[in-house]
Amino acid sequence: MTSIGTGYDLDNSVFSPDGRNFQVEYAVKAVENGGTSIGIRCKDGVVLATEKLVTSKLMKAGANKRIATVDRNIGMVSAGLLPDGRYLVSRARQETASWRQIYKSPMPVASLAGRLGSFVQMFTMNGGLRPFGITAIVGGWDSEGDMAVDGQVGAGPSVGAGGKASGKKYGGPFLYMIEPSGLYWGYYGAATGKGRQAAKSELEKLDLSAGALSLEQGVKEAARIIYVAHEDSKDKEFELEMTWVSGLSGPTKGQHQEVPKELREEAERLAKKALEGDDEMEE
Amino acid sequence: MFRNNYDSDALTFSPQGRIFQVEYAQEAVKQGSVVVGIVSKTHAVLAALKRNAEELSSYQKKVIEIDAHYGIALAGLASDARVLSNFMQQQSLSSRLTYDRPIALAEITHRLSIRAQKSTQQHGRRPYGVGLLIAGIDTTGPHLFEFQPSGVTQEMVACAMGARSQMARTYLERHVDEFEACGKDELIKHALRALKESLSQDKELTVDNTSVGISGEDEAFILLDGQSVVPWLNATFENREGGEESMEVDS
Repeated sequence: MTSIGTGYDLDNSVFSPDGRNFQVEYAVKAVENGGTSIGIRCKDGVVLATEKLVTSKLMKAGANKRIATVDRNIGMVSAGLLPDGRYLVSRARQETASWRQIYKSPMPVASLAGRLGSFVQMFTMNGGLRPFGITAIVGGWDSEGDMAVDGQVGAGPSVGAGGKASGKKYGGPFLYMIEPSGLYWGYYGAATGKGRQAAKSELEKLDLSAGALSLEQGVKEAARIIYVAHEDSKDKEFELEMTWVSGLSGPTKGQHQEVPKELREEAERLAKKALEGDDEMEE
Repeated sequence: MFRNNYDSDALTFSPQGRIFQVEYAQEAVKQGSVVVGIVSKTHAVLAALKRNAEELSSYQKKVIEIDAHYGIALAGLASDARVLSNFMQQQSLSSRLTYDRPIALAEITHRLSIRAQKSTQQHGRRPYGVGLLIAGIDTTGPHLFEFQPSGVTQEMVACAMGARSQMARTYLERHVDEFEACGKDELIKHALRALKESLSQDKELTVDNTSVGISGEDEAFILLDGQSVVPWLNATFENREGGEESMEVDS
């Protein structure tokens, strides 16, 4: 970073002579210090997982949840400044609620990612604001058919605007990641926070784009990847938090929920075992 | 103190991704006098050390009742705390008016967090210079939340903040496993002992400088201040010097 300290990095919404917005780059640094968060898009659902560092033994165990439910079918987790994450979640909830008001149906994950991207972008252009110090992962399940919604009148058109064209596949699991710049991409496997490099290389090994990984398998992989990503900061204690969302026929019935305790503990047991196995091979 | 280029407002990230104005606001919390909070299975308790500006002035209020089911203790800028406590009182009343139920502690803490976050990202304001402990009871049991100027809030089983609070925290960490089973009496004693750990050598907990707030199952939040705190001081610290003297002041 050659132009650091030359005055172009003091204000948001100011370009440096070589066309960079330093404040956004610094915001990314805030993200890189946060606990690792990941999302996996499986063939029948999405898993979100986060490494919650336990900074004090006076903290209440199992409280202070980091993964939020935005709408019934959408979950969100972020790495970076915690209050910024919470603020973006509250914005996301407003977006999905107003979508329901207007369209009488749940908001597609892609639309939410778009709205949040625009919102986050606004904070990089306005002089009176600072960029978000977070990268957010948004995962959810779009319903395949038309879902009945409270207050809905009639079934709506069967084809055309607002309806479903015949012969085309709709809905399914979706995963997006939104960066401090407002940039967002769709992902099969997304990772952010301190251990993102390790997590990314583990995610790449899974060959997620083939669409073969089942949701339950995804939960186990997610737990293992968080444990792997935690290896670099081994001295710090952490809690694993995981949520998932499947289609109507799956285990969560289209809703974003916490992974059941038994399954999470099983996944953690396997994760620890896998790590021990690795250590033995190295020796 | 050294200065740097990146600390003039709360809207500027440093190259390391830090926001210095927020960190400085956190320093204001460390200048406030110490407050302690503990939660058990049945009760939530707050204890605070009050300071007076000079010999003849009154002592600064440290524990504030917000609603019948909870209260706060503050460390840092008291005037900022008053703004926030007003906000919390309004939100709590509106919950009772709209839904006919006391507001959940997690909910009021969340609203506080969102409010504080805004002043770290939007122009024209500074972060709040006060830390709060929010303690009380709702339909899900007793709770204790810690609030920081950055907008960070965490649910704790025990917590201390303010000047020299590290000593109190050490006490709390040593006894953390005992708290859950404590009754009301034991919990208040623990809080007072933790508070005492943080006092400087020449100071003592007295009728004037100690505040305790407590709420429990089927018990509304009570603020123990002045004479009502004396029995607790006597019960907690045996052979206490000056106990009788402070009684005389009142007679």
